[in-house]
Amino acid sequence: MRTRPKETSRSRSRGAKAIDPLLSSTRLLHYAASALLEGTFVFWCMIAWPAFARTPAAHALRERLDRRLFALAWVSLLVAIVSGAGWLVIVASNMSGMPLASALQGSVLGIVLTQTHFGIDWIVRAGLTVAIAICLALQARTRSHAVGWVGLLAASAFVASLAWAGHGAATEDVPFDALHAPADILHLLAAGAWLGALLPLVIFLVQACRDMSSQAVAVARIATLRFSVLGLSAVGTLIVTGVVNTWFLAGSVPALLGTLYGQLLLLKIALFAAMIGVAGINQRRLLPHLADSATDDSLCLQISRRVFGNATIEACLGVFVLAIVGIIGILPPGLHTEPRWPLPFRFSLSEGFVRAYPTSFYASTQPYAAPSIARGAPLYAQNCVVCHGAGGRGDGPLAGKLSVRPANLTEPHLFAHKVGEMFWWIGHGTDNGVMPGFADKLSPDQRWDVINFVLARAAGDLTQHTGSQISTAAAVPLPDFAFEQNGAQNTLSQTLKNGPALVVLFAGHAPRARLEQLAKLQPRLAAAGLHVIAVALHPSTEKNPLIVDVSQDVRETLELFDSPADGGETELMLDRGANIRARWMASGAGGLADPSTLLSDAARVKSIPVAAANHAGHGG
Amino acid sequence: MTMRTITAFFLLVAMVFAPAAVRAHAFLDHSDPAVGSTVPSAPATMHIWFTQELEPAFSWIQVTDKSGASVSDGTSGVDPDNKQEMDIKLKSLPAGTYTVKWHALSVDTHTTQGDFTFQVKGS
Ligand SMILES: [Cu+2]
Repeated sequence: MRTRPKETSRSRSRGAKAIDPLLSSTRLLHYAASALLEGTFVFWCMIAWPAFARTPAAHALRERLDRRLFALAWVSLLVAIVSGAGWLVIVASNMSGMPLASALQGSVLGIVLTQTHFGIDWIVRAGLTVAIAICLALQARTRSHAVGWVGLLAASAFVASLAWAGHGAATEDVPFDALHAPADILHLLAAGAWLGALLPLVIFLVQACRDMSSQAVAVARIATLRFSVLGLSAVGTLIVTGVVNTWFLAGSVPALLGTLYGQLLLLKIALFAAMIGVAGINQRRLLPHLADSATDDSLCLQISRRVFGNATIEACLGVFVLAIVGIIGILPPGLHTEPRWPLPFRFSLSEGFVRAYPTSFYASTQPYAAPSIARGAPLYAQNCVVCHGAGGRGDGPLAGKLSVRPANLTEPHLFAHKVGEMFWWIGHGTDNGVMPGFADKLSPDQRWDVINFVLARAAGDLTQHTGSQISTAAAVPLPDFAFEQNGAQNTLSQTLKNGPALVVLFAGHAPRARLEQLAKLQPRLAAAGLHVIAVALHPSTEKNPLIVDVSQDVRETLELFDSPADGGETELMLDRGANIRARWMASGAGGLADPSTLLSDAARVKSIPVAAANHAGHGG
Repeated sequence: MTMRTITAFFLLVAMVFAPAAVRAHAFLDHSDPAVGSTVPSAPATMHIWFTQELEPAFSWIQVTDKSGASVSDGTSGVDPDNKQEMDIKLKSLPAGTYTVKWHALSVDTHTTQGDFTFQVKGS
């Protein structure tokens, strides 16, 4: 599970700006017009024609309806073209960073149209508007149903291609990614069919009620029943595909509750539920009577009026849904903004309901890596040592004078806390008021540096208890670090993508015999998927293909993980999540691992499933 | 079961099992030289990998030295074989701190940008 970009910079990445009202209203118009185009053809092909087929006498009504539906379709097409062009210009302006007026110039528009996915999608959609226009013109002249079906196809493609105008365009390495595009397209098609056919239905019912002939009433009855079948299948599709899309875009409960994206998504779902509620009234209360009313024209008319009222309410709610769609597509999806947790508690699988803070689900902006830890060490010394002590055991000079003993920051329990909660305590103090907040003294990035240092030191302390047997229990991770090996730049996290690693730490002279043994063994270790990285904790000029070149911050960080009593050498076996699975020391009881142990352990470590640590810069 | 109960049920299922999916916006995934790292010898090329495919027409990298002068050799480009990777050739860099600025346009039409530094160690 990767909840954040793995390496963000000290000055972090910036995403989208605030909501652009011009862009979101243009999108609302375009979505609405596209839906109406699809809905009008859907209404013709699937509702009106079959209804009229059984009552050929209602000729006048059919003529009046067609005139209005043609007008609706032509206006929708015009609005779709104008708003689509506006959308293109705004996107071109955003992409190029130029003001709207300059983006109108040919060169920028040309590059956007020919060299970006969005532009190519827009060219296709421009072609589809031409196809729709031809269908409308032909159909007005010939009234051919075949032309209508071609128009439905073109209008559906016009709506479906909106999937490539936004987040659906991107692919990513997440499970079931192949499902996302089809779900997106089905969602758009179902929404367009249901929302877009509502207005034609309202227009139709107005005409039918005005007509009041018994044929008109019969047609209205069939059309309303057919629309309810269409509505039901659309709602079913919307629910299933909506769940799939939420799965892909919102990601988690904190993202749903704590980000603007998630909150708008919840509002959209609530409006959708209200629409289903209104549709449900049609379905359960009105339609059964409509079937009974086949012989009673006045009752049928009365019911048609109520269906008309409900359809109007549904259409209005639908406009609000589309307005949210207009805004939401511009926002970064839930997981790319830090969720501000709105509740004073959260649910934890192991502990039940526990105290939570607004920053509980924040992820670190600073990767758990040597540069951040090296920056955090002096900050800890300046701000935290007086209470928590130099070793982090809660035994600083001031500790005895406090009403509550400062926390021991080396206990395994430290890792049970969310980093977002540590972030809150360092910024705002603890609930009991004993620990003060450091929000004025330490910038957010500095607070994350301190947390990384505290975590790394605790991990180093806990590593002292790691034995020489591979453990599959929860284990602490080694921080990420950059190194140069045989002239090539690399990082631990990149290396671990290919398999587990053996990190050899030596403080004094290089353990030549051991390194030569490992070097000889390397072809077999590499075949087993194990990489060996040897790091000198003190600057050394020793040459060996396994010894990597590192900077001072890396040496300081890795020094937290060796022991003064290790006989000059510590070896750590890391799984692919950088978790320390076994440790050997030159001075230890069993000494260092022999070749056959290394080979079999490498195979075992490789098979350990890696759940990314919540604070680590590793993972993915 | 009414439609509303079904909706509520699906929502619940979605929220309980919702995994942390990542989508939209190209963010920096990793780079070579790594973000904030100190490298022993001057790299010939700066590589940055992003979390999403990029639009070559509107994505770029800039590498500057302490004085703000560009140290790149040519212009940056999206790797034709891997649309998630952007590279830029570098001049031969003396020891010092370098700033990398990146501007990425994802195929989802959204722009992201950021900057970071790396150091080249003196020999
Ligand atoms: Cu995006």
